[in-house]
Amino acid sequence: MGVQQIDSKLLSKCFLAGAINLEKNKEWINELNVFPVPDGDTGTNMCMTIMSAAKEVAALGEDPDMASLCKAISGGSLRGARGNSGVILSQLLRGFTKVVKEEGDITIPVVANAFTKAVETAYKAVMKPKEGTILTVARGMAEKASDLVEDGCTDLEAYFAAILEYGREVLDQTPEMLPVLKEAGVVDSGGQGLIEFLQGAMDAYLGKVTNFSLDVTSEEKKEEEPEEKKTHKLVYCVKLIIVPDKNFIPKNEADITNYLESIGHLVSIVNNNNLLGVHIHTNDPGLVIQKAIKFGQIKDITIYNRNLESNPKKAKKNAAEAETEAVKVEEPVKPAEPAKPYGFITVAAGDGLVEIFKSLNVDYIIEGGQTMNPSTADFLDAASKVNAETIFVLPNNKNIILAANQAAELVTDKKLIVIPTKTIPQGITAVVNFIPDITPEENEETMNTEIGNVKTGQVTYAVRDTSIDGKEIHTNDYMGIADAGLASVGTDKVKVIEELVDSMVDDSSELVSIYYGSDVTEEEANEICELITAKYSSVDVELQRGGQPIYYYMISVE
Amino acid sequence: MSKVAIITDSNSGITQAQAKEYGVFVLPMPFMIGENEYFEDIDLTQEQFYEKLQGGDNISTSQPALTQVSELWDNVLKEYDEIIHIPMSSGLSGSCQSAYMLSQEDQYCGKVFVIDNQRISVTQRRSVLDAKELADMGKSASEIAEILMRDKLEASIYIMLDTLYYLKKGGRITPAAAAIGTLLKLKPVLQIQGEKLDAYSKARTANVGKETMKNAIKNDIENRFGGLDKAIDNVYIQIAYTKDIEPALQFKEEVLKEFPGFDIVVNPLSLSVSCHIGPGALALACSKKVPELND
Repeated sequence: MGVQQIDSKLLSKCFLAGAINLEKNKEWINELNVFPVPDGDTGTNMCMTIMSAAKEVAALGEDPDMASLCKAISGGSLRGARGNSGVILSQLLRGFTKVVKEEGDITIPVVANAFTKAVETAYKAVMKPKEGTILTVARGMAEKASDLVEDGCTDLEAYFAAILEYGREVLDQTPEMLPVLKEAGVVDSGGQGLIEFLQGAMDAYLGKVTNFSLDVTSEEKKEEEPEEKKTHKLVYCVKLIIVPDKNFIPKNEADITNYLESIGHLVSIVNNNNLLGVHIHTNDPGLVIQKAIKFGQIKDITIYNRNLESNPKKAKKNAAEAETEAVKVEEPVKPAEPAKPYGFITVAAGDGLVEIFKSLNVDYIIEGGQTMNPSTADFLDAASKVNAETIFVLPNNKNIILAANQAAELVTDKKLIVIPTKTIPQGITAVVNFIPDITPEENEETMNTEIGNVKTGQVTYAVRDTSIDGKEIHTNDYMGIADAGLASVGTDKVKVIEELVDSMVDDSSELVSIYYGSDVTEEEANEICELITAKYSSVDVELQRGGQPIYYYMISVE
Repeated sequence: MSKVAIITDSNSGITQAQAKEYGVFVLPMPFMIGENEYFEDIDLTQEQFYEKLQGGDNISTSQPALTQVSELWDNVLKEYDEIIHIPMSSGLSGSCQSAYMLSQEDQYCGKVFVIDNQRISVTQRRSVLDAKELADMGKSASEIAEILMRDKLEASIYIMLDTLYYLKKGGRITPAAAAIGTLLKLKPVLQIQGEKLDAYSKARTANVGKETMKNAIKNDIENRFGGLDKAIDNVYIQIAYTKDIEPALQFKEEVLKEFPGFDIVVNPLSLSVSCHIGPGALALACSKKVPELND
């Protein structure tokens, strides 16, 4: 039987163990995403959120007092929050710690209150709470926690076990609540992340966890943590960067991924500015090298024997790690100058899109978006560097809006107004329609109206087989995704684009803007542009190089 | 009673024929096209002008020569006692300044009043008509000058351009307007308020640009011209365009939906403005009615 109350020392351990368990499972959680697009994933987002808090908790040492611990958990996760699930997780933790910091030790009634408060706080943070998500799972557990108190539950271990078990039951029900989950054959990824976090915490409570060190990356934990002296079945750890040939296309990346997965444990493969960072455990490093040189040149290779040598980790930041920090492209404004009335912060990936936003006088561009959702801290950092009284924030991705909102609430010395742009074209429209002569509120209203008048379609490829809206999708298929969901899918890229644009253009359309990505040649883009120009005689068609990763084309119709 | 003549230049959009009809005088603005000088509405039609502009001819504007101005004044003063001279905005041209200098010469001093009320196009036209009405009411030139100068800032004009090309080519653009993004195709919306032609906003499509202008006018009426409910008594709404009239007439219908009951004048923008902003521009303007004429 476990202890009957949890002090700050044990809570700190539970939190760290929860974070570590989430980290261990993040790749798996990533795969639960409904849309098979290669974008910023739930597992990664939640993990980065929790790790931001875990680092602050770890820094407090082994025996922190409850108030400092709660502050570290709440503040750290708030600032580190990325993506919708990450923001919701940070709000759950904020609500939880609000109750706990008032108490000395945690007992059953405290848990019940803290869970209830956590769910309340999280629901408040979301404008339109959706059921069948992490929120539902959290609420289920909070209700269970209260019910068990009423039922007279007195044993803390049994109490936790029952709550967690109920959480899993609710999680299993999420496909019944959200049809998209059912069709994709997955449970909600955010809910799964929450359960993994709590499972880790539970293990620590039960004394099953001995290592609370955060200074390891996920694969090492997966295989090395339980028994330190374990012999690895996959002997070699290979890290390398592929500098792809010119004709390299995203489909090649998928090929490499599939192949590498078949010859060992592919820890990570990350595309950063057209450099592919590969990290794999395998018994035949030669196969990895042979595959890599088929697609380009190899740079910065390290191979070590996992059973005979110590890990030369941290020797060099590989591409994967380099990507974890959003890159700032604008130099900060000198704070000595008087604040200007208005400023703009936006999020974009791709040199062409960055240039476009710069030409529209956006002050600060957080590089990221699809591949990497910026955190609340990234927005706070950006806001501190824009010397303006009112700053409009354009997240340009539905997964980033909550983090931006959270930042807006935390900034006190300036006014941050988040315009909830869900796509890059919406962001462009918002900043284009800005009028310096009218009030911030009038601008907010104008921009909100105008972003509703722009339709966005994006063309990418599928990373796995699934089915959405009744359409069969196969790995590497091209997908045209419109605002309402999947508009077209198939193996013929041009046809997919045509169908997508068809679904967007109507009698009132005036302008089609095409932003082509880094994996598209100018010639191909020109052909697409001509095709669309010829097809729709009444609209203007404008072609721009976006240079964005992952999305071959972003197309807007307004 | 003093007999007051009203003179303006062709920037007001008032043609020579209309001038006769209204009983006012219009000084034609000169243009240099290549090596030759032309005069608006005298030996240069709108059609010829746009043909040359779009054909890439180098067109530049200049002020009316002072001899031309003094000849007109001398002629007019044979029949009239006083002159109200309303040139295009001093922010856009030096012609106001030189006309003012001329008016300080002994033979004109106290007889010719040059009005620097910073109007252009349809708002300049409105000022001319107001001045004429005031003169017909029996006001003296100095009284008319006082009224027009008092209401100097009570007008605004918003112009949506089809392209930034001509504005950049002519160099007649404020730094703020020049900063409008160039990577994307945009429809800039400029404003003339007081003396400067400046950037107001921008839009990606014509419909959004038109909406922006309507909202701007609405805003002005609400905040500067006594509110929307009394607007029909207090405010004139006008439309101007460059080159083709059809989009302007269609725009008029759209504006009427927003401002029902208004008598909206649609005029071509004068060529010296068109020269800088190119074809395909639409303008929406409002000016406050002169209270003295409102009874």
